[in-house]
Amino acid sequence: MEFFSQGLQGLIDGLLTGGVYAMIGAGMSLIFGVMRVVNFGHGDFVILGMYAAFASNQYLKLDPYVSLLVVLPLAFVFGFVLHRAILAKLLGANDQTTKLATLGLGLIATNLVLLQFGTEPKTVYTEYATNAWRIPLFGLELRISEVRFYAVIITALLIFGLNMMLYRTELGRAIRATAQNRLGAELQGVDTKKIYAIVYGIGVVLAAAAGVLLLPLLSATPTLGSVFTNKSFVVTILGGLGSLPGAIGGGLILGVVESLGSSLFPLMNSHFGANYRDAYGLIIFLIVLLFRPEGLFGRTVKRV
Amino acid sequence: MKKIGAVVGVSLLAAIGVASLGSAQNATLKIGAITTLTGRLAEFGRQQKAGFTVAINELNAKAGSKGQQFELLLEDSASDVNKGLAAAEKLVNGNVGVILNEYSSSIVKAQAQYLSRQKVPNIIVSASDESITKPGFDYVYRINPPTDEYAKVLFQIFTDTGIKSMAILAGNGAFEKSVQASALEQAKLKNVEVVGNQVYDKGLTDFRPILNGFKARNPDAVFLVGYQEDSVAVMRQAKEVGLNPKLFAGGAAGFALPEFITGSGSASEYVVTATAWVPELKTPGNKNLYIKLVNALGGSEPTYHAAQGYAAVLVAADAIKRAGSATDREAINKALLSTDLQTSYAKIKFENFEGYKNQNRVSMVAEQVQKIGGRLQFVPIYPRSLFDAKLLFPTPAWDKR
Repeated sequence: MEFFSQGLQGLIDGLLTGGVYAMIGAGMSLIFGVMRVVNFGHGDFVILGMYAAFASNQYLKLDPYVSLLVVLPLAFVFGFVLHRAILAKLLGANDQTTKLATLGLGLIATNLVLLQFGTEPKTVYTEYATNAWRIPLFGLELRISEVRFYAVIITALLIFGLNMMLYRTELGRAIRATAQNRLGAELQGVDTKKIYAIVYGIGVVLAAAAGVLLLPLLSATPTLGSVFTNKSFVVTILGGLGSLPGAIGGGLILGVVESLGSSLFPLMNSHFGANYRDAYGLIIFLIVLLFRPEGLFGRTVKRV
Repeated sequence: MKKIGAVVGVSLLAAIGVASLGSAQNATLKIGAITTLTGRLAEFGRQQKAGFTVAINELNAKAGSKGQQFELLLEDSASDVNKGLAAAEKLVNGNVGVILNEYSSSIVKAQAQYLSRQKVPNIIVSASDESITKPGFDYVYRINPPTDEYAKVLFQIFTDTGIKSMAILAGNGAFEKSVQASALEQAKLKNVEVVGNQVYDKGLTDFRPILNGFKARNPDAVFLVGYQEDSVAVMRQAKEVGLNPKLFAGGAAGFALPEFITGSGSASEYVVTATAWVPELKTPGNKNLYIKLVNALGGSEPTYHAAQGYAAVLVAADAIKRAGSATDREAINKALLSTDLQTSYAKIKFENFEGYKNQNRVSMVAEQVQKIGGRLQFVPIYPRSLFDAKLLFPTPAWDKR
């Protein structure tokens, strides 16, 4: 019975956490899918989002959720300009160069935050952050955190919007064309440099949005970025690099595995507790890599 | 080649240190100190620094402009073991006679080992891992209580309120594990059943699976040990999952900081925590110390770390005076052994007992977050003989508040 109730609650919590993982992974996956750039600074942009929300709460007295309206446009402009000013200069350079460049950008972002806000953890207190709905089920009481539920809804909306944009608009067509064949797109009159900058901007928006949504739940610390970068790697590779549905699936799977692992294993042996949380996620990651190296939803595509 | 470079570098550093000290030696008596001024433990470092500053100013004011002035050589360990060791090395090579050895057990332990090998007397200010003052560490003195005192005061409350079972959650650092071990020992002694016992990794931000596991076992008390960001996250999530023990007990550190209340808001109410000093203690000059610490902190509330920092400087200065030198490490070590000093933090005397070496005997205080005049604040409640305020027990369920 304990097994069942813990498992069910673990599943719910895992899906809620997985939703946010999915959003972080989606940004990274999109950037890779279109630009073939592995964005090593991705987690640091999540942190930038957290601190942007923290700052707008401190100085403008905005609720973290309302601050999305301010932070997301800023994040887009930031990403766009960043690409125009730096990454665009590296077009055609080899993989190592772009990897180092994104890693460096992340380091700069982290350290700017460090200089501005210091290293001590920053929290925003909101009364609603700890509220949860209670759902009675077969005599059990399951709980769904309200904020985390809204975070998943916002994630779903953003990813849905992104998908609509990619498949229903002229811009989306240009993005897909650039992803498929840059030279071909260029010959058809697509300004691929601009498309790259837009895609990078969208990637940063998704990362920053995840940061904002996490702020009511977590304390922000500048050095947390690498944790998110690692998670987004696992998510994108689980689902298949460059695939949006893959990022969603990968995020949800990672969230559920981590949560179920740290809920259920302690029931069997108290030694295997929450401190093995990351291990549960990485074990699944390894298994997927062994049997489906292209990821669960990925396809191996030959590029021209 | 690398090795030679390192040797040259170190000796060069030493030479510079000696040279700079030589010119200033007549002017001031120097006390070395290391604390976490930056990094994730910066808040504790800020508190200790305020204590150091208040004490140095007090000593110098007392000595007058003609008397010998004290000077603090403060180094930052940046909340990192390796940077802490580098800071200790710098002070050792700078010919400092005595070093105040800061806050986090994981960092302090490495520094204490190094300093004791270098035969440099060092005074532990706030780190409480028991093993630091267990034999094997010469030249190490500790003014704050070790972790078993943290557990003892909380278990006194458990006994008085008839708590029969508990679940414990601790981080995996040296301090948290030491408190956890002390708590498990006390539980055995006091016949409290341990129904849950979990350790978490640094950086874990999702405690829900653990808290849900505790909830299923329905313990009378939940014992939590962690630093600043964890204490806030744990209480927020305990409210979210609806974990309702009769008592939440925090093992000092993050739970005794004012930021714990501001960060977790109403979720912090009724939480009891151990702490090593409160302004309400009736030690001589304590009220005055509180006012000075508030000023040094720019108006924010001082914690026990500040009071301990203050006392540590006085102990070091006292030893230097009695040794007649600020640089003769052996003489200072001898003087520290016979320390008998009443400070506003506590009476300080280094003793050997129960396996401890050069450990100050001082008991802990317990305080509870209570709402007074609509504002949440720490209210000292234990030991009961010292304070008028009463423990609010049992903690009401989250949905009944």
